[in-house]
Amino acid sequence: MSTFSGVSTALSSLIAQRQSLDVAAQNVANANTVGYTRQRATLVPVAGQSVPAMFATSPGVGQGTRTASVDRLGDVFLDAKVRSAGSSAAYLAARADAHATLEKSIGEPAGTGLAGQLSDFWSGWADVANGSDQGAARAVLLERGTAVATRLATLYSDARTQWQQARSTTSALVDRVNTAAESLAGLNEQILAIENSGGTAHELADQRDLLVTELAGLVGATTRVRQNGQVDVLVGGNALVTGKDASRLAVAGAGSFAQATGGQAVTVVWADRPDQPAGLEGGRVAGLLSVLAPPDRGGLLTEAAAGYDALATQVADQVNALHRGAVTPGGAPGGDFFTVTAGQPPALGLTVALTSGAQIGAGTAGAGAYDGSVATRIAALGASADGPDARWRSAVADLGVRTAGAVSRATVAGTALAAAEQQQLAGASVDLDEETVSMLAFQRAYEGAARVLTAIDEMLDTLINRTGIVGR
Amino acid sequence: MTRITHATVQRSTLANLQANLHAAARLQAQMSSGTKISVPSDDPSGAHDLLRLRAEQRTTAQHQRNVADGDAWLATVDTALTQSLSIMRGARDLAVRAGSGALGPDAREALAAEVEARRDSLLQQANTTYSGRQVFAGTTAGPAFTADTSTTPPGYTWHGTGAAVTRQVGSESTVRVDADGSAVFGTGPTSAFAALDALAAAIRSGDSDMSAGIAAIDGHVSAMLEQVASVGARHHQVLEAKDVLATRSLTLTQQVSGVEDVDLAEVILQVQSQEVAYRGALGAAAKVLQPSLMDFLR
Repeated sequence: MSTFSGVSTALSSLIAQRQSLDVAAQNVANANTVGYTRQRATLVPVAGQSVPAMFATSPGVGQGTRTASVDRLGDVFLDAKVRSAGSSAAYLAARADAHATLEKSIGEPAGTGLAGQLSDFWSGWADVANGSDQGAARAVLLERGTAVATRLATLYSDARTQWQQARSTTSALVDRVNTAAESLAGLNEQILAIENSGGTAHELADQRDLLVTELAGLVGATTRVRQNGQVDVLVGGNALVTGKDASRLAVAGAGSFAQATGGQAVTVVWADRPDQPAGLEGGRVAGLLSVLAPPDRGGLLTEAAAGYDALATQVADQVNALHRGAVTPGGAPGGDFFTVTAGQPPALGLTVALTSGAQIGAGTAGAGAYDGSVATRIAALGASADGPDARWRSAVADLGVRTAGAVSRATVAGTALAAAEQQQLAGASVDLDEETVSMLAFQRAYEGAARVLTAIDEMLDTLINRTGIVGR
Repeated sequence: MTRITHATVQRSTLANLQANLHAAARLQAQMSSGTKISVPSDDPSGAHDLLRLRAEQRTTAQHQRNVADGDAWLATVDTALTQSLSIMRGARDLAVRAGSGALGPDAREALAAEVEARRDSLLQQANTTYSGRQVFAGTTAGPAFTADTSTTPPGYTWHGTGAAVTRQVGSESTVRVDADGSAVFGTGPTSAFAALDALAAAIRSGDSDMSAGIAAIDGHVSAMLEQVASVGARHHQVLEAKDVLATRSLTLTQQVSGVEDVDLAEVILQVQSQEVAYRGALGAAAKVLQPSLMDFLR
């Protein structure tokens, strides 16, 4: 224990308090930085040199303090919770969005949707039955038939457009996943290098955590921390990022709506093994894939399109079946009212086969030129329990129930995510009051250490300048 | 205990404000659109009912139009029958006059000519049309009765097929709105026109026994009266259907309104209380987010 050891003790405190103040400054600076995790300088006392010897002179007083480490006050468990909640919330939100968009596109129950057009159509038949001698009623009926066909085609192409948009969104998101995975692998490498050289890379770790959270939201990624501090990212149990290496994902399968309605699924595969599906368990991409699925696997849009096709077929079949038994005012057989263009989905290919009102068959053979009995029977299809109207109504109600369910599930998952984020933030975010208090404490400690230095200085002054002058 | 920082307070405040504003926007949308169900998921079963009720409204409106059309048809038929009856009764009077006393050939000729004029107006009545359609020809396109004047006496032909003109006045009820021309006027040599021709010929021939002609006219009059009764009964049916449909239309409108329309008083109240909650949230946010320890340290 030397005379001057007190100076170095005070110095150690000065250095440590200044470092702590630097950390506080960093915290305050990043109070609003997204993804920043607060840090704290951990000070440890430096023990005195006590040599276990009989004549050791050490008084057992410590040698001051030092900054043992600057810690990042994140919680891996809360982080994991945010990621798993984010993965399922993003999955459900993608599904809820798709449901809500489809629901808006059908335009019901506003009165101007398909239900209204079908009602107009049946009403047109009733008018022809009443006035089968009137060309106007016949012309109106043809137009209303065309309106029903056009509306069905619009519904179908709306579903197709939505599918194509979801498909291109999926591609864009998978590209984003690949970019994020590469950045993450790069960060892994940098962080390891910095830590190997004895530095701290907390800010880079913050960035890496942000990327992991983003990947969880996109493809339901989970993480595994290695012993050297690097983070491996797993998607569906396989590694997307291993240390400094990143794999790539790719979108495969159906590229067009026709392929999807034909039963081909859209899948996300590993780029280097295109026959190996990634098996996504959550995230927005998985939600989009479930929306894009073929009808037999519960794909929302393809199922809707199949429903439109069935409806178009039903309208054409039921009207044609009756119309074939009818005769025109000229006595010719009625034939088909609707045709479905071959090679097209029925909802898109449905057209009115007749070109003029005189071709409409309203009556039965031998019952007079102005007979409207068949037209009356066709008009009654609208009220039929197994008619197109009933099918459309139940389809609308079904979509409504499913949308309400999807939206409420997404809302619940969103609330869970918000709670998890709140918990994570509670641990990791910077509290300005707390930092202010810390700054006060560090400042005071710094002042104290400086005062100790002054005291030692004065003591030494006494020893050096004022001793040895006896009798001078 | 959970650590609370400015960031968490800020975040939860924002989330609450968002939730408040979301609820307010929803209420505003309901109030401005006046409808509770703007997309099916707002109330799936309500949307289903709404579509069904709207279709029923359309069907009812169509039935109402059918009723108006049928009403006009039956009124036309009724008028034609009344006219025909008065023509026949006039002809009967002429027959009675011809048989009552010794008339000179000129007077007989005049009477016969009058009977023939009545036959022509009867034929006109038999070919009455409503908006271009023959009311006594059923579903046939051409005129109901034609007279072939090349033979003596002229031949009369009815062109109907017996197929009735009907109107749907309810989901399960149809009403015949024309009258069977053959039942009203008879066909061929047994028709009312042929009877009048025979009467005119009898008057011209100077035969004073008109009983055969009068009997034939009476037969046709009673046949017409039968049809008038039948048309009247059907007209009554149509008018009853009109009342039923009017009531049904009103009921449906009420039902649609019950499913779809917002209770304005309730929504306004909710909007008000939502606004209070929103103001409260804003005030709390302003109070909580403002101060920090810095304000109180020198």
